[in-house]
Amino acid sequence: MAVEIDRSKCIYCGACVATCPHLALRLNEVYIETFDDKCVSCGLCIKACPMGAIKFKK
Amino acid sequence: MDINYDYPKIHDSYDVVIVGAGPAGALAAREASKKGATVLVLDRRKELGAPVRCGEGLGAKYIELFHLNLSPNAVSSNINGARVIAPNLKDDIIIKTKETKGYVLDRKVFDKDLAKDAARAGAQVVSKCDVYDVIKEGDKIVGVRYIINGQRKEVRSKVVIACDGAESVIARLAGMKDATSTLYDTDYGVEYEMVNVKLQDNGKDFSDLIEIFFSNELSPRGYTWIFPKGHDVANVGVGIGGLHTPNAVHYLNEFIVDSRIKHRFEGASIVSLKGGAIPVGAPVSEFVKNGFMVVGTAAHQVDPIHGGGIGLAMNAGRIAGEVAGDAVKDNKFDAKTLEAYKTQWYGEEWDKFNKRLMLRKVLEKLNDDDLNHILSTLDQSDIDAVLCGKFMNSITKVTLKRPQLLKVLTVLMNM
Repeated sequence: MAVEIDRSKCIYCGACVATCPHLALRLNEVYIETFDDKCVSCGLCIKACPMGAIKFKK
Repeated sequence: MDINYDYPKIHDSYDVVIVGAGPAGALAAREASKKGATVLVLDRRKELGAPVRCGEGLGAKYIELFHLNLSPNAVSSNINGARVIAPNLKDDIIIKTKETKGYVLDRKVFDKDLAKDAARAGAQVVSKCDVYDVIKEGDKIVGVRYIINGQRKEVRSKVVIACDGAESVIARLAGMKDATSTLYDTDYGVEYEMVNVKLQDNGKDFSDLIEIFFSNELSPRGYTWIFPKGHDVANVGVGIGGLHTPNAVHYLNEFIVDSRIKHRFEGASIVSLKGGAIPVGAPVSEFVKNGFMVVGTAAHQVDPIHGGGIGLAMNAGRIAGEVAGDAVKDNKFDAKTLEAYKTQWYGEEWDKFNKRLMLRKVLEKLNDDDLNHILSTLDQSDIDAVLCGKFMNSITKVTLKRPQLLKVLTVLMNM
């Protein structure tokens, strides 16, 4: 499992990046890049996202 | 033809390499340059200051204190005080002191002005340049790896100063584990910049006040704010503690349609969306490593009560820049030498910062009934006394009808 970001909701504020203990997300200029190999599916970024734009991949 | 992002050419090594050209990075760059160090500042963004991720408030004293050279439109509006509103959205107190005088900035202009000053002092500022790793040699940080124009490159340095904001990726890559934001010690915020907002209510004018709504219902473990940006424009936002659900935007959307306040937003439009993580706990434990410093929001140097970080970032940046400049002169870059930055920061900021941390703990223990009671009981003279550090009268008054508050509020008396 890993997370996916709804780009129509994401405002690339970086809150998820700040909160991910595994540096599995990265803020680029206008989008968040996710690294599935680093993600441990802890869900912290999902709680952190102020826009509710992140969910677990099915 | 490619845009010449790499102008002027980035050399292979500098005395000081700074990651992030926000208020912390710009001040660090300016001060280190003034000490004669060669300084490179790298920033991921193509336009410094954008996207804006905060309420943009800044205390008045800082502009003079740091001799900032600002364009007229760097400041959107002048603030004379703060209005603190109870959860019932009715009772309020207005705080006007020297401390509450300030500005709501336009960060897109402000950040660029600061970066320009750093460049005038001799620093080389490069935008759209993405630092993705630090270079380690043994237990030393000796440079960074970056991407520019699609190419991966390296630059060596004697000192790296990480000023990359709340994400604090660079400090974490350097091995500072507690630079990760935890849900417990972080507020997650979202903000609409709105036009056609009524900055008056009930015949009273709030256009020179920042309005702060403390309420567990409206914004659990955080607060809701209206920061005026001149005329009918305001930053309207919500920050909530990370352990609370649902996400912050839900609370903001509820707020602007709340029947008690929605008349102030009727006919308003949202012209900008901002958000971000706001560290509101203690600063990170380590400020330095061999050849490395972390400064500003990246070091969680953020006011634990209002979440403001610009002033603290600039002061920490100034100190770090001076210490780095001196380190270059002395040719010593070990953690022990750079620790002078932490020592000086604690000397200047810790007393106040620690009190604010304690005050936060007090506020967190209050429920909405307590807050309604406190804000309806205290009058202006009580507030003025509290602001001078005299809590006794107010505590007596508040606990007269709610003695259960005594236990929580006694913390204040010992501050």
